[in-house]
Amino acid sequence: MDRHQTTGAMSEAELAQLLSQVRAGDPDAWGELYRRYAPAIFRFCRRVLPTREDSEDATTEVFMKVRQKLGTYDSSRPFTAWLYKVASNHCWDTLRRRRIRQDLETGDLDTLPLEHPDPSQIERLQAEHTGKEVRGGLAKLPDRARMALVLRYYADMSYDEIADTLGVRRAFVGVLLLRARHQLRDALSGTAAAGAQKASAGGKS
Amino acid sequence: MNRLDDHFDEVTGLLYLEHQLDPEHTRAVSEHLASCAACSGLLRALESESLWLRESLTAEEESIPARLIAAPERGTIQWGWVAAFGLAVGGAYTLWSGIVEPWVARAQQAGFTQGYLLTMLFFSGASWKGWDAMRSLTEFLALATLGTVAIWFLRKHWQRFTTIAFVMGALVLSALAFAPSAAAADIEHGNPSYTLPAGHEVKTDLIVAADRARIDGDVDGDLISFSSSLTVNGHVKGDILAFGAEIRVNGPVDGNVRVWGQSLTLGSAVAKNVMAWIGAAEFDEKSTVGGTLTMLSGAAELNGKIAGDVLAYVGDLSIGGSLGHDVIVRGGRLTVGPNAEIVGQTKYTGDREPEVSPGAKLGSAIQYTVPKRGPDYTRANYYLHRVFFWGASFVFGLVLLLVAPGFFADTEQASKKIGPAMGFGVLFLFATPIAALIACITIVGLGIGISALFLYLIAIYSAQVFVGSWLGEQLLGSGVGIGAAVGRLALGLAIVRLLTMVPFAGPWIHFVVIIWGLGALVLALHKRMGPQVAAAA
Repeated sequence: MDRHQTTGAMSEAELAQLLSQVRAGDPDAWGELYRRYAPAIFRFCRRVLPTREDSEDATTEVFMKVRQKLGTYDSSRPFTAWLYKVASNHCWDTLRRRRIRQDLETGDLDTLPLEHPDPSQIERLQAEHTGKEVRGGLAKLPDRARMALVLRYYADMSYDEIADTLGVRRAFVGVLLLRARHQLRDALSGTAAAGAQKASAGGKS
Repeated sequence: MNRLDDHFDEVTGLLYLEHQLDPEHTRAVSEHLASCAACSGLLRALESESLWLRESLTAEEESIPARLIAAPERGTIQWGWVAAFGLAVGGAYTLWSGIVEPWVARAQQAGFTQGYLLTMLFFSGASWKGWDAMRSLTEFLALATLGTVAIWFLRKHWQRFTTIAFVMGALVLSALAFAPSAAAADIEHGNPSYTLPAGHEVKTDLIVAADRARIDGDVDGDLISFSSSLTVNGHVKGDILAFGAEIRVNGPVDGNVRVWGQSLTLGSAVAKNVMAWIGAAEFDEKSTVGGTLTMLSGAAELNGKIAGDVLAYVGDLSIGGSLGHDVIVRGGRLTVGPNAEIVGQTKYTGDREPEVSPGAKLGSAIQYTVPKRGPDYTRANYYLHRVFFWGASFVFGLVLLLVAPGFFADTEQASKKIGPAMGFGVLFLFATPIAALIACITIVGLGIGISALFLYLIAIYSAQVFVGSWLGEQLLGSGVGIGAAVGRLALGLAIVRLLTMVPFAGPWIHFVVIIWGLGALVLALHKRMGPQVAAAA
């Protein structure tokens, strides 16, 4: 997947030019940078944070941080990777501050089932659920699980970057992602079961 | 690679798909896949799941909200904070001009000449010089507001321990504020008793904490006592401030006497005023009070001379001495003896008619009023006051909502657990003042105790806000955003206010609201502090 989910295409040279203008304090360049990347960052926040208002606030705050920290950006790395790193750190901090229960997830593998899941069941879930339902199911996941999936499959972060953001060992990232997938499957199966029950109840009445 | 019946497990499959296995494991998985249909099937399912997740998550179904269209500028003013600060200052001013100032003026008329409310309420004289730096209560409130805002800004940097840091910070600040007072005085801990022998003189203030305290010598400054029994035979040149079961003052006092306790016996001259919250009081024939007497008491006998006004809420008041000015009494019974003399007017409100001895000399006939029970629903002022009270609680709730939206939401959520909230509410309603008083008695904890009582009163007042907000949510639904929260708050508080106006049931409803809201507050605090404590451990 292309992690550069921006408005309109922009070459590396153009981006470098834009960034140097922003660093120089050009307000128009800053506006352009924001216009290009704000939608993607807003959607990222929207998938990670619980409410739309939180996501709006977070987007603004992320860009304030971007403006402050732009001097520390290493231009040899992709800009979007750095941008998502700033956003994910901000969102993770927000979630961590709000979290009222300790996340007891640890690095042990024992909590994952050793048996193979039924591939047809996984495929059926994919067939039965729309993207919107998947995003709805994501909201039901624990913060860390949701964050892991979004970092990997939306922001396209590497395992190293995910480990760094979430403060876990790199070797644990795969377990974290798989556990998150299990939790998402369970959440969606619950929705499907409830939907089927509702339909059946509706049919009877 | 973990193997189970020669198949690889799901984690290994995922790591293989995402190119996270080392070459040796990758090769082993590839070889296995070539001959295992089950594992190939799993891998296909995982791969399509990855694709499905990417497509679902990256779908651009939501447009950017209008408020995010323009790029944020450095130094953007946080209008929420400005509004909260403005409301806080406005609330403080309203509190000051509407309630505190008139009250202070009234108190000053009654002879309390101390300048500052807090000084006047709790402390007197040199021992509380720490408060003298606060030029007025408004300054104090403004400082407190600024402090709260500053702490709230700083909390962004305190990832953990926020609540603990906040509470501890408040306590430390209180302790610092109180510290100079202790340093300015001679502190004595009786073990178990303390006696200042006759002929001795304490050149500064004297603070005594003892089971029994006896002051036969002189005190050049104030005498502050936390003793079960206090007897003062010596000369106190400042004020007496005493908490205790039995308080006897037989020596002259050049300042004021302020006591909280079970019984007070006054047998000497007090140059200024006497203020007493006391079970029973007896002012004998030899006693004189140069200023006013303000008293809340179960039973009292006034047989000495009092030069100023008498303001008394007393169950059973007997006047046998000479009162040089006006008398305002509210209570169950008033007896004026044959030797009594009241120069000014006497106003008495009570259930029974006053019993006046024929020999008593009264400046004018006693104005007797039978008290009205409960609120007067026929007066427009009553409803106007309810509206004001509603407005005050709404502004207070609004400040809470804007300053601490997360905590507000937590408490609102906790209100939904009605049973546990009620249970904790009852517990903390009764246990907190007891714990705070115990802290007060142990001098070192005086600052902490008084701070705790102050926070306790704020918590009790806040209770209606959270219950009101819960009620609003039941009626208006749980819409998101600040507008919906403000709407819920306004409507819920109005309903709570209306319910507390119901005759007979109103006070009980108010009580239930207090324990419910207080319990929800405790639950929310517990939720916030619990994991942080665990994390610290």
